[in-house]
Amino acid sequence: MKKIKITPGILALLLVMLFACNEDFLDRPAQGNLDATTLANQDGVEANLISAYSLLDGWGNYGNWGGAASNWIFGSVASDDAYKGSEPGDQQPAADVELYQWATAGALDYLNSKWEVNYDGVNRANATIGLMREVEGIPEEDQTRIEGEALFLRAHYHFEIWKMWGNIPYYTEEDEDFRKTNVGTDALPLILADLDAAINLLPESQAAVGRVNKWIAKAVKGRVQIYAEDYGGALTTLRDVVNNGPYELEENFHFAFDVAHNNGPETVLAYQASVNDGNPNGENGNRNDRLNFPHSGSPFGCCGFHQPSQNLVNAFKVDADGLPFLDGSWDDTDLTPDDPVDPRLDWTVGRDGVPFLDWGLHEPGWIRDRPYSGPYSAKKNIYEQASGASSSVGWATYQLHSLNLHLLRFADVMLLLAEAEIMAGDIENARLLINQIRARAAAAAQGPDGGPVVVPIDDSSITWATYNVGEYPAAGWDAQRAMEALKMERRLELATEGHRFYDLRRWGDLKEVLNTYIAKEQDRRAYLSAAFAVEDRHSLYPLPTVQIELSKVEGENRLIQNPGW
Amino acid sequence: MLNLLNWKRGLTSLLFLTFLGFTIHAQQKTITGQVTSEDEGPLPGVNIVIQGTVTGAVTDVDGNYSITVPGPDAVLVFSYIGYSTVAIPVGDQNVINAVLLPDVTALDEIVVTGYTAVRRSDITGAVAVVDVDDMNQVTSVSVLSKLEGRAAGVTVGSNGQPGSYNTVRIRGVSSFTDNDPLYIVDGVPIETRDLNYLNPNDIESIQVLKDPSTASVYGSRANNGVIILTTKKGRQGKARLNVDVNLGVAAPVKGLDDILIQDPLDYHEIVRRSHVNADLDVPENIYGDPNNPTIPNYIWPNDGVSQTMTVDESTYSWPDNLIMRSSPGTNWWDEVFDPSLVQDYNLGMSGGTENAVYNVSAQYYNQDGTMKHNWMDRYSLRANSEFNFGRLSFGENFAFSRLRTVGGLGNYSTTNQRMGEGSVVNNIIKMQPVIPVYDIDGYFAGAKANTLGNGTNPVRQAYYDKDNVNTRYQAVGNVYAALEIIDGLQLKSSFGINTFSGLFKGFNYPTPENSEPTMVWSLNENYETQLEWTWTNTLNYVKTFGANHNINALLGYEAIDFKRNNMNASMAGYVSTDQAAWYIRDALGDPSTKNVNSYGSVSSLTSMFAKLDYNFASKYYISGTIRRDGSSKFGPNNRYGVFPAFSAGWRISEESFMSSLTWLSDLRFRGGWGITGNQSIPSGRTANQFGGGTTDTFYDISGTNSSLITGYRLTALGNPDLKWEENVSMNIGFDLSLLDRRINVMLDYYNRTVDDLLYGPALPATAGRASPPIVNIGTMENRGIDFSIGYRSALTGEFQWEIEFIGSHYKNEIIKIDGVQDFFYGPVGGRGGNITINQIGYPIGSFYVMNHDGIFQNQGEVDSHPTQDGKAVGRFRFVDTNGDGIVNAEDRDIVGNPHPDLTGGLSFNASWRGLDLSAFFFGSLGNDIFVVQKEFTVFRLFSTNVRQDRLTDSWSTDNPDGKYPLLDQTDQFSSVFSSFYIEDGSYLRMKNLQLGYTLPKMSWFQSLRIYIQAQNLFTLTKYSGIDPALPAISTDGSTGNQTDQAMGIDYGAYPANRIFSIGINATF
Repeated sequence: MKKIKITPGILALLLVMLFACNEDFLDRPAQGNLDATTLANQDGVEANLISAYSLLDGWGNYGNWGGAASNWIFGSVASDDAYKGSEPGDQQPAADVELYQWATAGALDYLNSKWEVNYDGVNRANATIGLMREVEGIPEEDQTRIEGEALFLRAHYHFEIWKMWGNIPYYTEEDEDFRKTNVGTDALPLILADLDAAINLLPESQAAVGRVNKWIAKAVKGRVQIYAEDYGGALTTLRDVVNNGPYELEENFHFAFDVAHNNGPETVLAYQASVNDGNPNGENGNRNDRLNFPHSGSPFGCCGFHQPSQNLVNAFKVDADGLPFLDGSWDDTDLTPDDPVDPRLDWTVGRDGVPFLDWGLHEPGWIRDRPYSGPYSAKKNIYEQASGASSSVGWATYQLHSLNLHLLRFADVMLLLAEAEIMAGDIENARLLINQIRARAAAAAQGPDGGPVVVPIDDSSITWATYNVGEYPAAGWDAQRAMEALKMERRLELATEGHRFYDLRRWGDLKEVLNTYIAKEQDRRAYLSAAFAVEDRHSLYPLPTVQIELSKVEGENRLIQNPGW
Repeated sequence: MLNLLNWKRGLTSLLFLTFLGFTIHAQQKTITGQVTSEDEGPLPGVNIVIQGTVTGAVTDVDGNYSITVPGPDAVLVFSYIGYSTVAIPVGDQNVINAVLLPDVTALDEIVVTGYTAVRRSDITGAVAVVDVDDMNQVTSVSVLSKLEGRAAGVTVGSNGQPGSYNTVRIRGVSSFTDNDPLYIVDGVPIETRDLNYLNPNDIESIQVLKDPSTASVYGSRANNGVIILTTKKGRQGKARLNVDVNLGVAAPVKGLDDILIQDPLDYHEIVRRSHVNADLDVPENIYGDPNNPTIPNYIWPNDGVSQTMTVDESTYSWPDNLIMRSSPGTNWWDEVFDPSLVQDYNLGMSGGTENAVYNVSAQYYNQDGTMKHNWMDRYSLRANSEFNFGRLSFGENFAFSRLRTVGGLGNYSTTNQRMGEGSVVNNIIKMQPVIPVYDIDGYFAGAKANTLGNGTNPVRQAYYDKDNVNTRYQAVGNVYAALEIIDGLQLKSSFGINTFSGLFKGFNYPTPENSEPTMVWSLNENYETQLEWTWTNTLNYVKTFGANHNINALLGYEAIDFKRNNMNASMAGYVSTDQAAWYIRDALGDPSTKNVNSYGSVSSLTSMFAKLDYNFASKYYISGTIRRDGSSKFGPNNRYGVFPAFSAGWRISEESFMSSLTWLSDLRFRGGWGITGNQSIPSGRTANQFGGGTTDTFYDISGTNSSLITGYRLTALGNPDLKWEENVSMNIGFDLSLLDRRINVMLDYYNRTVDDLLYGPALPATAGRASPPIVNIGTMENRGIDFSIGYRSALTGEFQWEIEFIGSHYKNEIIKIDGVQDFFYGPVGGRGGNITINQIGYPIGSFYVMNHDGIFQNQGEVDSHPTQDGKAVGRFRFVDTNGDGIVNAEDRDIVGNPHPDLTGGLSFNASWRGLDLSAFFFGSLGNDIFVVQKEFTVFRLFSTNVRQDRLTDSWSTDNPDGKYPLLDQTDQFSSVFSSFYIEDGSYLRMKNLQLGYTLPKMSWFQSLRIYIQAQNLFTLTKYSGIDPALPAISTDGSTGNQTDQAMGIDYGAYPANRIFSIGINATF
């Protein structure tokens, strides 16, 4: 009978069992994340905007080197400025780009990184605008600014995509269909419209140096107009920027690539690099350009990519007047130590026996595979050792640094204006602009090992080169010479900065210049003999296959591949 | 709920009446007796149960028992493991002595299948009962790796690294996300990729529930099958002391030194030909004149141009001025892999009285990996006991362990960290033979000089990992109380926990000797802690009505609560490398590099379930289950899921029309249908998530160059309508025994269709980078058969033997993905891009690459071939699959898959007098392996070492049948991922061979057996790598585990071990 007494206890237990299933027990939110409600205020909107800026370097913690905002692969290695570098097996997709074999799986993967990171930027800019529209209580002044910045960034990222692929879908904050077709969309007017809107909304200057303002938007608009071949429009826009804007050239060429002059007068748009900022891997320090340092025997250790071409080095030769050879004869023979050169050569290219800023003399052992990729190192991305710009974390700390990466600098703007002057304005104005660039080039040269980094170009300590830079005289300056001089000047001034491929395309010189380059350069670098001929199809990169496949709706691709691919 | 309550009220009344009944008709009496076996005399610990109830008793040391029975109708059932069960009606007797005969079939064994226990012969679903003794012959720390080949329909992937995790799959693959089965250890659910806390010697039984009619009682977690493990309980009787010792020596089954070039000058010949064939200058900085190559005196310093023959060694300083002599040929494999010791010590004590039984055990297991500085060890303690007070009993099963793992290819919790290019195994491939292990001062040497590649010295890598210990303390167990309310009706409440805490400290040293050096001293530290509790309450009624109506009914409620927290931290710039300084504190390094993150997850589950098994005279069976689960992982819209299942069986051999067939011992048909679920996705994916980090969203908008402003982005898209994956499956099968049960055949056919697959298919990049929402759209199907066939000799005679083959086959097919796309890529790749694809109409994780079509033999072939990048004589030719005249990435095709056509285990056991012999083979047929390593071993990316046969079997005009392309430095094209990378991974391996001798009985011990053993003695395979038995690569994504999209890929596996061991089992 004892057992029966237990029965009520059992009943109670059963009841607990059956009713313990209360809803609260099953309410378990995601851990360690923010939700939409927390962000529905001005701070949330501002932080969304910051994240849109953060992709200006092309690195969002996914993808590969192809995403680099410097365009060192698609703008520079793909041109006559530079080789892939390093050794044959390393980063083969970059070699595929270099050899104009752009449909390989590897090249498409690199292209996909570029596509992804820039559309991510577009998406973040749109998310900022979308969220701002939903949030109440943001002061109107801030709303105007935020929208202006977001529109600018949206235009910028779209322009990066347009430069690559031409036929692209354009996305605004109102889009919900992310499988839009790229057929029948002309992106350039849409980019220009966004830039015009941004120009209207943005203030003349901003408290934070990294935020875009009205002048930046105008300068970028001028560049887009040049690419759109609206030279008249570009003339107006860029004259305004050059004459009325806040920019001027740095006092010497090196300062444009010097940490101490980050955000100096020459900076129009730059990625704000940052190291020792709490990130455990130094990933805000120009991460996608980290491979482009001299290799083993050098103080950097790795990895020897983006090596300047012999063709580029030869282009720095000057005649007795300090002027470049515009007749093309500069590439007939390789540069010898006796040839006078433009001092920008030794700010752009690391050469054996020449001081490498303040890192000591560049030596043969700094090159990873000399028979393969020649003796030169990229130099514009190198910071001064004394600047302390290096990261203290990361796989190779030296590769990550706080030298801001220029996305648009004033010298570029001046040369774009010179181009507009030649095409639609006054060629004499173009000569003056080009001469300003050359005068600045003549201001300084690389200094000696152990001495100052910057010295006058005729400094007695210079034993490795004879420097000379002259200005173009008015005599003989006609439209044809002006254009030849402009093209050469853009190349010398902006060498290895990721613009060359797009410049050649814009000028219609792509096939001729690159096929000539490969024909000659393969005698110097045998592996280039494997390069494909540059054809019409190479004026646009192929769309990443995976994105075409992902665009499929009901079995039909919405994204259509570019012609010839 | 209401109905249930009414039902319960009715039940309570019924109980009351029944108790009354007992008091009125006091026919109870006490039976006593002795149980003996024919040869062994009195048997202690025999279970005696009144048929149809759970009331029972156990014999004491002398085989005596005493039990109270309700009346003369009662039938006593005597059962003892290894003996046939005997049922004796009580009738008028007061003393019943029983003689048990050794069991032939084990068919009447009571096995635990979920929340209830049933006779093995009464199971109507697909349940594999594992022979634990056979299984435990294999030496391994992991009970899961021992399971390989032991249960039809169960595949197990594991490698030779001690303590590596295992991929266990039951009946194929049913989800794009997690496919690990649910493990239930003594009623405590464990969702994990390893059970390494568990001492395999503690295991009493393992049942694998393969189909929903048995598994669906576990509802939403049962999609991938359920493995029920019970640990050894004490038995009444004198205390017994068990000692088990096993000592072995392990060596890798095969080494890379069998494959790779070992002589530096042979390697130079590869380099020379590659350059000459490409019209390139041969680098001379190491070997000098290519036509008269020599090994230099030094490989570093080197100017990248010419050989270094003299160096002033007195200028040496670390790390700035390293000096490395050359090596006449370093055997990197041999430097890294060595035979190693395996030790396993077990001590167990068990015994008990009528009111209390106990089993206590302790283990120390230590296995050194064959890779240097790689080892694991485990201390484990277990205490299981049970106390009986009449109808009330309670007890506990509890295990505590400490597990430490060091080195190797990374341990189970940081799985794929070191599986890729940077692993020790791959660095063996990367290092050229001319590189020495040490420099002139005893520091590690490396590939610093140009043309030596970018590898890291693997000896160095292993050495510096030696103190990076991963320690995990884990406690798993339950306490329970059971009350027999009336005979046959038991109420049981069990509270279980699974808790662990783990700590890993990894200290990283600089690599100045490397071509791609790093110069940082840094520490990373990970800490994780988990607590999961499960409270289960069941009411179980087991009763026989009349003579033949057998009922087993179950009603239950369960609540599960899960919490995990992880923290990882790192800091760089350490000034001391002393282990005492391996902490993250400002003064110890550079505090500006300090970085701390933590994350966690919480989830919960509540469930109600009911089960009813009925059979008539063990001839006709019917069974039904229903479970309703509520999960915190889903939103309020679809929080609850209901999972029903039914099965039926017919023992045709019991029908009168079959009784004349004397050769037929048993024939039974079974069939079942049911629904199970899967909820293995990360918690909290029902709503949009926002976040960001210093890498991907923060930005230095103020231009400080050293600080960041916070940025947010949408990180994951939520889906408020998330619901369960639903697996609808059916199973039909039969069990057949012939010739006095000497031939046994089992066959099951199944079809599993999983609907509403949980997955987040990729969105186009234009939608941004937020993790795609997890949706329930996909469908996947698995069809297959499991079978076993065995023969045993007659049980008379001194020589007895048995043989059994267990096999399984499945076919996996993706039916639907998201209704829009017809494929998505798998999560893994190599330098050549993606490898796997999941495409409608094909199995999950199929290999999707170019179709390799031989080598261009002459210019004519090159010219007539469609446009193909880099096509040239001597290079690979690929198929223009889509026929558009251009060979490019669009021509990739599904050219293989990692799923085997057949896997099977063959076991053989024989005994003669005191000697016993057992052998076990495992084989896998028809699975493909994608050998990513060919990027290096054949194509020499990064100037790595290559296969020896690259010298002899490369195409040239003189060797047009060569299987490798022309050695050509500029050939970046042949190395495109293609079917060339795919090999047949079929193999047959002798897993175990054991010879034992049991000593004649003596007074001071009860039994004593010694044995010698060889494991993985030989492997028959055509696979060119070192080991075809590859575990899948553990891969996580935003939707959870994606391992099954990365099966059969050889990134450089840790080869299985060949182990020779001796052992002793003794009971005192």
